[in-house]
Amino acid sequence: MQIEEMFAQVPWGLIWPILLIELILKIVAFVDLSKRRATNGPVILWVFIILLINTIGPILYFTVGRRNE
Amino acid sequence: MTVLEVSNLTKRFDGVAAVEDISFSLTEHTATALIGPNGSGKTTTMSMLAGLLRPTSGKVRFEGTGGDPRATIGFLPQYPSFFPWMTAIEYLEMAAGLSGMPQRDLRAECEKTLGFVGLASSVRKRIGGFSGGMKQRLGLAQAIIHGPSLLLLDEPVSALDPAGRREVMDMLKELGETTTILYSTHILNDAEEMTDQLLFLRKGKLIEHGALEDVRRKYGGNGFRIRFTDEGSALRFAEGCPWTAQREDSDVRIPAEAASMEAILQFAAGHAGGIRSIGKDTVRLEEIFLKVVGQP
Amino acid sequence: MRQFWIFARKEWKEQLRGFKIIWVPLVFIFFGALEPLTYHFMPQILDSVGNLPEGAEFQLPDMTGTDVIMSLTGQYQMIGTLVLVLAFMATMSGERKSGTGTLLYVRPISYASYFSSKWFTAAILGIVSVWLGYGMSMTYIVQLYDVYPGAGELIKFLLSYGVWVLFVITLAVAASAVLPTGGAAGAALGVLFIGQIVDGMIGEYWTWTPWRLPEYSLLYLNAGPESGEFWGALAVTVLLIVLLAVIGTAMAGRNSSRAKV
Repeated sequence: MQIEEMFAQVPWGLIWPILLIELILKIVAFVDLSKRRATNGPVILWVFIILLINTIGPILYFTVGRRNE
Repeated sequence: MTVLEVSNLTKRFDGVAAVEDISFSLTEHTATALIGPNGSGKTTTMSMLAGLLRPTSGKVRFEGTGGDPRATIGFLPQYPSFFPWMTAIEYLEMAAGLSGMPQRDLRAECEKTLGFVGLASSVRKRIGGFSGGMKQRLGLAQAIIHGPSLLLLDEPVSALDPAGRREVMDMLKELGETTTILYSTHILNDAEEMTDQLLFLRKGKLIEHGALEDVRRKYGGNGFRIRFTDEGSALRFAEGCPWTAQREDSDVRIPAEAASMEAILQFAAGHAGGIRSIGKDTVRLEEIFLKVVGQP
Repeated sequence: MRQFWIFARKEWKEQLRGFKIIWVPLVFIFFGALEPLTYHFMPQILDSVGNLPEGAEFQLPDMTGTDVIMSLTGQYQMIGTLVLVLAFMATMSGERKSGTGTLLYVRPISYASYFSSKWFTAAILGIVSVWLGYGMSMTYIVQLYDVYPGAGELIKFLLSYGVWVLFVITLAVAASAVLPTGGAAGAALGVLFIGQIVDGMIGEYWTWTPWRLPEYSLLYLNAGPESGEFWGALAVTVLLIVLLAVIGTAMAGRNSSRAKV
């Protein structure tokens, strides 16, 4: 099967909400990260976690990544 | 009138005494300075008075309050922590509400208090962006917002720069006219400036206390001090004079019981070399502190 | 009562400004959407992965909308529980550790209002998030599946499952009152997951526990649970919630001396 063919078969009408949620989670996590002075562990590590690990990445950041000064 | 009476207060952590058998009382509208080196039990004492720590033994008695004594206390820790996501006005309104202040005119009252502590331009800013000095000021605001009759302040000015320190000391003096204040400090110049009573703590024990004047007298505060331009002149004078004189750098100190002012002036007239001034010797609190804390 | 609302307002703002009010619902909505999609497109997914030998055919079970809801509930029992505990594990322990609690505890506050305001706001956020997740799932289910539960059954399910969610949240908040953050998370998750394991082994004999509640709730989607067992489990769960709230309130007061000064 060609890539284009596969791409056309994807039911985007059903999938876009999931992608949107993923996007919002990542954006909100980055907004929070940019405003925060202290994180548990290096900031760059959290940038990669949020960016590369879908869904779980932002959750991890929100639950254990943030630290209040 | 006595506002607070502390008797035989003791706090042990795992058997180690942090505060041991402390007794003192606070009189209405007076300022008391709690002085001692780090780890002497100042903060532990304050925490017990504020109701945060339960004493191992001993008693803290507040006069005239039937209800929750916390309602009549204002407490400022050394490093107050706030919710960084709140604004100054939001925090103060919450604090005031929790202390039972009526909702009416609450905002105006809070804005006034923020103005008093010098945060008028930061009323609607997030606390997360505040400097240490601004947090200290907000800490003072939350301590006084509900009009407490007793203020407990742990190192209220040590986080401030000299100008801020001056300002806050002036605020405290103003508050002291209507409020009883107990504050701890290691900046003795400040203590000297605003204190009716001194409490010296060392290793959790109250080793000296009394009115500032009494303590001064006790530690030799009523002698004479002659200042010289250089150490050599001071040394010649000290060795030449007929009394038990003590030389400190380019100063010579003579105890009150050793000589009279007239006698000193007469002798000085003949040995004037290098004298800058002759006067009453006021022992600085710092010297008393070193003496008291240095005691075996 | 005034203190309760002052605290509740503060908690609400904290959830808002800390983005908790965004990410907690989104996580549940995400899994709620993913579950029906995954099952519906399973044949295509397997096909496109393409590692199947020529001629092999997968006989996939025919899933109904009700099956998807059951499967999603299994997800929520794992990931959902984890997310809820992690979201609320620090609600009190964090205020002791950072010292922000100190300036609250020196005021004439009642620890009942302190605890209950946190419990109340956490419960609202948690339960609504879970319900939104099921709502998202249903919007997919009605499009992709022929058979799905009716509104009445679904509401009964959501209400009774909500009691289980309330139990999870109460446990997390109470643990935060008793222990430091790490210990609170460990204790709450330990109790919840060990309970699930024990329930899996001897649940048939041990019918009146909170851990039975999710299963009884799911039965509302079909025939409905056996009413004696359901109400027994519900009563025990509510009793435990009240007990945890009482313990949490007492320990919040007692632990105020552990706040950093």
